[in-house]
Amino acid sequence: MRKVWAIGRANTVRFLRQRTNIFFTFVFPIFLVLLMGMIFGSQSEARIGVHVAGSGGLLASGLVEALDELDQVVVVSYDSEAAMTEAVERGAVTAGVLVPEGYDSALMGGGSAGVGILTRSTDQNGMLARETVRDVVARQGIPIRAARFAVEEGGVSFSQALAVARVVAGQETGITVSYSRAGESAFEDFENLGTFDVGAPAMLVLFMFLNTLAAAADLILTRKLGVARRMLSTPTSTGLIVRGEVAGRFGVALVQGVYIMVGTLLLFRVNWGDPLGAVAILVLFALVGSGAAMLSGALFRNEQQAGGIGVLLGLGLAAIGGCMAPIEVFPPAMKTAALFTPHAWAIDAFSELIRRDGGLVDILPQLGVLAAFAAFFMMLATWRLRRVLTR
Amino acid sequence: MSAIRIALKDIRQRLRDRSFYLWGIAAPFGLAAIFTLLLGDLGSGGTSFTYAVADEDRGATARLFVEEVLQPLEDDGVFSVEEVASAAEARSLAEKARVNAAFIIPAGFSAAAAEDGTTAIEVVANVDSPIAGQVARSVAGHFVGEINAVRTSLGTYFLLLARAPEPGEAERLVDAAMAVPNPLSLVELEAASKELPMRTYYPAAMAILFIFLTVQFGVLGLLEERQNGTMGRLLAAPISRLSIVTGKALTSFVLGLVSMTVLVAGSTLLLGAEWGNSWGVAILVLAAVIAAMGVMFVVAGLATSAEQAGNLQAIIGFVLAMLGGCFFPVAQVGGFMEKLSLATPHAWFLRGLGDLAAGGGAASVFPAALYVALFGVVTGGLAQFRIRRTLVP
Repeated sequence: MRKVWAIGRANTVRFLRQRTNIFFTFVFPIFLVLLMGMIFGSQSEARIGVHVAGSGGLLASGLVEALDELDQVVVVSYDSEAAMTEAVERGAVTAGVLVPEGYDSALMGGGSAGVGILTRSTDQNGMLARETVRDVVARQGIPIRAARFAVEEGGVSFSQALAVARVVAGQETGITVSYSRAGESAFEDFENLGTFDVGAPAMLVLFMFLNTLAAAADLILTRKLGVARRMLSTPTSTGLIVRGEVAGRFGVALVQGVYIMVGTLLLFRVNWGDPLGAVAILVLFALVGSGAAMLSGALFRNEQQAGGIGVLLGLGLAAIGGCMAPIEVFPPAMKTAALFTPHAWAIDAFSELIRRDGGLVDILPQLGVLAAFAAFFMMLATWRLRRVLTR
Repeated sequence: MSAIRIALKDIRQRLRDRSFYLWGIAAPFGLAAIFTLLLGDLGSGGTSFTYAVADEDRGATARLFVEEVLQPLEDDGVFSVEEVASAAEARSLAEKARVNAAFIIPAGFSAAAAEDGTTAIEVVANVDSPIAGQVARSVAGHFVGEINAVRTSLGTYFLLLARAPEPGEAERLVDAAMAVPNPLSLVELEAASKELPMRTYYPAAMAILFIFLTVQFGVLGLLEERQNGTMGRLLAAPISRLSIVTGKALTSFVLGLVSMTVLVAGSTLLLGAEWGNSWGVAILVLAAVIAAMGVMFVVAGLATSAEQAGNLQAIIGFVLAMLGGCFFPVAQVGGFMEKLSLATPHAWFLRGLGDLAAGGGAASVFPAALYVALFGVVTGGLAQFRIRRTLVP
């Protein structure tokens, strides 16, 4: 046991000595969680651009105010039509509202005005914004119509009538449209979560797996530099060395996992759910990661190969397993494919804890699958490693 | 001449040890393929909305809404509407996502509309159909807006006169009030999309991410030759120092170009990516390789071993890619983050492709391509002052 510990510790320390590993283990994940939180947090609001051509006026600013008062809409002002068009084209805002020059004077003088709404035909959120704006614009017309009617019928001045009409229109409760949503959403679970809660578990499993796979290169070094042969010349069995190497990978995975979990908890107050359940997932997933790393270390001949495959598998499996976008949005075939990645099971287990307030007992099935993954990788790796270590 | 010979030897060596295929082709292409398979169809779904309408009122105003507002929209093919018997049925259809949304006109609607009462058309949208729901809301809102406009008109009129309407007077004025047209209209303008469709975005993002890793195969040779003890022999041979550096740079350049070209061609053929104007793409690819080489030279100039340089380059590559929007749309955060993003060659590479996606010709990529290339020329140029340091035995 002491030997296993010594080999494991030496491996973990060797991994953490490298500055690249420090960066990808400690700095990059937190950075990504932060960035994802910023993006996810800003996505619940629609950004609508507004450009008022010319000098504007009372009615023009009334329209902008009405847009600004909408729930979950952030109005971004642009100084020129070109800048707003560019922003819509690049997707920086979902739609652009163009208040034409002479908007106020046309409306005050009895004319009409067309408010431009700029969207991209490929963007569904743009359509959503367009319909919302259509409603707002139509409502802006009501007091103007009323004032014109009053002028026609009663011989008052337009500005006087408009002032009264705006008050009346503001009080009018009359006939409304009530809006509600029904049904069970595929995404319902996400809606009550904190900004960082969705991304953090996904990033945790992604980096645990990816960085542990990166540690596979060390196993190849152990072989290449003859460390393994030297260990074998001491009274140490192959099985013991293999267990020690597993311990090394496991140490790396655990350091990574605990760091992200504690780090995001302290920095972003990420909710990880039931602590016992969370730790259980962490430990089992660390075993899965170390198993995969052992397999990679046993199969490949040089570090460059293992590195390339590691990045491909680490990011690829993470993507299929739902670390970069929730599985709920995948096409059906890929949903099935996701079940063959350990990532999907770990994320599912975290969802059970975080979104449905589950405990350790509720995630036993997922933990079982993770244990099976770990056992499978380990067995394959050990079988292969016994041969290459003694070669 | 000797530069070319050095490059040829290096390229042959890289192709033989297979690491180039992994980093330059398999990893970026594999990841792009996975992302495209998973998310390539996101947001490209067609939009045909279906609605249910339940008229529990059956009065004149309610029928007006069903027959004169919804029916014509269905006839024009804007959306399809199905009239159902009860509010409960309409609600359940929306709940089970059989329709995108349901309109429910409550009993007493027409009476309330005629007598200044309060009532509401209820729109129930399925949770996953926010756009259809918002369209329904807008259609119903337009209809009640007409009613409210007449009311506001009459309300304003009598308030200005400071008296209540005489019996029958309001009814007589309704037609006149309705005749005043809404002075405001919405003009739908179409913007071109300079955002890449998902099927192009993922291959493009992976291409620019991995080019920064692929170029190390040439430039890092400078450090490797020294570690392997072969630098001394190279220096002793009748080869100028410039030729050695040029040879290594040429290796990076060729391998980088090959890698990106394979990615562009492969993703077009196999993943359905549409990169746009070929000359424009070629210019951007060239600029991207130059940018990646520039950074690589800086890193090689600073590092003490090939391994250290490779690691540092990986860090820089991933950070620039993340800021540049290769993983998610950073520009949507706005503010400082957006500005920081635009400092990276990655963001400009993707922007340039965006210009092409909007139908731009080769000339449209120039501002973007120029920035990307300049990034490489400036960093690489500065690095030349330090790179001589590696040319020692």
